[in-house]
Amino acid sequence: MSIQFKTINELSHMLKNKDISNKELIEETFSLIDTNTHLNAFVTLNKDASLHKAEELDKNPSSLALAGIPIAQKDLFCTKDLRTTCGSNMLSSFIPPYSATVIENLENAGCISVGKTNMDEFAMGSSNETSFYGNVQNPWGDKLVPGGSSGGSAAVVAAGIVPAASGTDTGGSIRQPASLCGISGLKPTYGRISRWGMIAFASSLDQAGPMARTAEDCALLLNEMCSHDHKDTTSLDEAIPDFTKDLNLPIKGLKIGLVKEFDLSKLDNEVVKVFEESKKQYESLGAEFIDISLPNISLSVPTYYVVAPAECSSNLSRFDGVKFGKRCDDPKDLEELYIKTRSEGFGDEVKRRILIGSTYYQLGFMMLIIKKLNK
Amino acid sequence: MDKKTVSTIAYLSRLSLNEENGEKITQDLENIIKFVDQLENANTQNIEPLASPLEKTAKTRNDEVTAKNRKETFLERSPKSNDDYFLVPRVVE
Repeated sequence: MSIQFKTINELSHMLKNKDISNKELIEETFSLIDTNTHLNAFVTLNKDASLHKAEELDKNPSSLALAGIPIAQKDLFCTKDLRTTCGSNMLSSFIPPYSATVIENLENAGCISVGKTNMDEFAMGSSNETSFYGNVQNPWGDKLVPGGSSGGSAAVVAAGIVPAASGTDTGGSIRQPASLCGISGLKPTYGRISRWGMIAFASSLDQAGPMARTAEDCALLLNEMCSHDHKDTTSLDEAIPDFTKDLNLPIKGLKIGLVKEFDLSKLDNEVVKVFEESKKQYESLGAEFIDISLPNISLSVPTYYVVAPAECSSNLSRFDGVKFGKRCDDPKDLEELYIKTRSEGFGDEVKRRILIGSTYYQLGFMMLIIKKLNK
Repeated sequence: MDKKTVSTIAYLSRLSLNEENGEKITQDLENIIKFVDQLENANTQNIEPLASPLEKTAKTRNDEVTAKNRKETFLERSPKSNDDYFLVPRVVE
């Protein structure tokens, strides 16, 4: 029985009914990975450990929420003893000594991390073309980009290889690739999911989230990904609701805001058509559309262009070739070690964003504008 | 944006630029500064600055050691180390 395009619940039922063993499910997943290598969606596979975990589950069946479910993890999350590159040459041989809290949460819920997915280098990009490990292909067509930066995660889910993947979103990096690949994904409220063990890009905006083919699967994943974590001071200490609870409520009477400042005429005709069709669909189900105004929305992109590169410039200063990651060959002194390592280790887009951030600091721009921006 | 400012910025970022990408980035930086400059025109009078993306303030915790000493684990994953230290080129002659 094929497992391709099955949802989390469908796979869970198949496992419970013994239609398939845990080991067979993982073997089948790796054979789907093998027949889809043209997508270039994985950077590192975790085959032996995955098969081992599946065999253990066959021996000792588990009642955990996501027991035996194969998941692909964005290569931005640290995974203990499994290479974590963040799409960069800088971390091409980095083996983390610990796992990110969100990875631990998913694995403690029974998920099997089958591999690490390709992404824009250090999550800086929107088309998955800045990865040191090559472009990712959108499974819907060989001339299409999957979006980014969580493009590998979106592609493996859209291709039906795995039902679920993790992603991260700073300025659209889950939502945009999910849209371009025709799957579901969301950026949760900042603080819902611990950022501990996530390689930081812009810390005040970074947030992990689920990617899957259905809203239900996203909710099932989100239930396990959220936690209050002492290791992340920005992690929320709030009760975590059951996100699956309201999934089947009727949407009759639901009010949906349409931002009147958004100019649809700038969109591709086919996108507008799909948008209008979905509006009709919602209306036929009883939802109501109302115009709302976000008068400052045009300032969101310029604001992002200050906050994100400034934080990136600070965060990426940790990659200096001393404690972990790549180091250049034969530096003549400490300064050359820093400069050569960083110049060889980072790709053009990452360098560009570091320089943009440093420019703000150098021009004293931040001190002048920061109060204004934070408003 | 002149060449000197850009090379200072590159040095502060500990990045080296060659002739070709040096010119490209100079142009790029100029465009971005112009683009974000429109924020100057936003009226932010009577708006309180946002100090944190969270509505709640961070909680304090007891000052207790929770992490184990994992010196060996971290040292063995570094590009160059001995038993006790990360190693870099000599800094004192």
